[in-house]
Amino acid sequence: MITVHNLTAGYGKLEILQDLSLGFAAEQFSAVLGPNGSGKSTLMKAIMGVNRIFAGSIQWNGRELVGMPTEAISSLGLAYVPQRENIFDELTVLDNLQLGSRSLHREERAAALDELLALFPILGRRQTQRAGLLSGGEHQMLAIAIAWLSRPTIMLLDEPSAGLAPVVATEVFRVLQALSQQGITLIVVEQNARRILQYCDHAYVLREGTLAFQGTAAQCLEDEETIKGYLGVH
Amino acid sequence: MPPALLTTSLVNTIQIGSLYALMALGITLTFSVMKLPNFAHAEYVTVGAFAALIVSLSGNVNPLVIMLAAFIVGALVALVSHIAVFKPLEGREVSFYTLILSSFAVGLILRYILFMVADYFNLFDTRIRISLQILLREGYLILTNIFFWVVPSSILLVIALTLLLNRTPLGREMRALANNPGLARVIGIPVERVKNYSWLLVGGLAGVAGALWGLQTAVSPLMGWVAIISVFAAAILGGLSSFAGTILGAYVVAFSENTVMLFLNFNFGLDLAYKPAIPFIIIIAVLLIRPQGFTELIKRAGDLKR
Repeated sequence: MITVHNLTAGYGKLEILQDLSLGFAAEQFSAVLGPNGSGKSTLMKAIMGVNRIFAGSIQWNGRELVGMPTEAISSLGLAYVPQRENIFDELTVLDNLQLGSRSLHREERAAALDELLALFPILGRRQTQRAGLLSGGEHQMLAIAIAWLSRPTIMLLDEPSAGLAPVVATEVFRVLQALSQQGITLIVVEQNARRILQYCDHAYVLREGTLAFQGTAAQCLEDEETIKGYLGVH
Repeated sequence: MPPALLTTSLVNTIQIGSLYALMALGITLTFSVMKLPNFAHAEYVTVGAFAALIVSLSGNVNPLVIMLAAFIVGALVALVSHIAVFKPLEGREVSFYTLILSSFAVGLILRYILFMVADYFNLFDTRIRISLQILLREGYLILTNIFFWVVPSSILLVIALTLLLNRTPLGREMRALANNPGLARVIGIPVERVKNYSWLLVGGLAGVAGALWGLQTAVSPLMGWVAIISVFAAAILGGLSSFAGTILGAYVVAFSENTVMLFLNFNFGLDLAYKPAIPFIIIIAVLLIRPQGFTELIKRAGDLKR
């Protein structure tokens, strides 16, 4: 359970999230929606401690995350997949996977890698290649794989389907659904609201740094005002 | 050019090139992992040479002990310069140019501390004291035991560094940090610790290079500074990012300074005094024609191989 309380966060002197309060339930697949600039990515980065937090608190299972270094947050079991530059493109696919599983013990690591290759068979075939040579879909799968390999309790993903062909994006969402069924808490930022609402349990809509809507995916789809007003879906 | 002269110059190329490689790899590593073109690297070399010299003066010391002392002192000086200067500056998010200038400043301070040390202990232009034996003499070519210390040691250290970078978890984390520092933090790599290890490694290797360099010439507070332009030329040939490119670059620079220089001298009467100009010519030519150095070439060769 992640509880965000009166959070004001942004970059440099710019405050993007304004006094935001919300809670993400454990073991749920939550989508964070909203127009460009509404603060979706800022929220992800604030949870991971990679941007500037002006005020407020972010608690996970009662532990305060604000002020903790990113490495420490990650070692608590939170894994984050940034939207861009989310793989080590100069390194081989195998190097990337080993970096993802670096915190696991030797036996655990072997098991995790086996399980991973069953989930993403294509990465197995490309192990010795430089990660920068992967296609868009494979690249995104690798980014998710790196995060998943640390055996996180929570995964935060920033627009995992951005720039992907619809068929490939669907594949990414299927993988996310499978991860959710493993009991991993998912918090996913997404542009294409209509699509992710078919997969997720909960939806949060941000607008200009504040919470405009929260509810189940079904409620969100039914709420004409939210859909048309904030998400631009017709 | 007579064959004997050619052989001598090639032997010099191998000897000097191996030392350049050892020093230039440190520069490439600092640049890619710490994002800093560190001109104080020259002084880590000199500090290592002085450590070696002082240890050797205590009498009949094994060259391995001399090199170990140089490694330790070089490593500590590099780590201290990081903790005292570069890390606090990075924390204040100063510009790249400020960092370069500060590295000159660190180098300058170290250099003149070494002048004071050399003055106090009367060490100007002294040689590291180890017994000298001539192992091979053929016409022009004289190979001493120093050659057989310098060349295998530097080649072995270059191989060891390559293995460390490519085969160990620490090396992988260094490469990850070089490639994508933001993601490295996000996946929980202890960035500060990896940087500290990198500094120790970089300074230690520079120190050993200094000791080996000192074995073949006299030790002076300016020796690292004199070599640094050639060493930077090697690193720039490697695009400041490719380790294989840097090693190749080191031998190219050494070959130009020795064999090519001698060839020009012998056939066209070019004065040997022009030798120090060679690294500058290489740097300018690379920056004009191929600023990325050997990087892309080596990356593409690697992709083909796979």
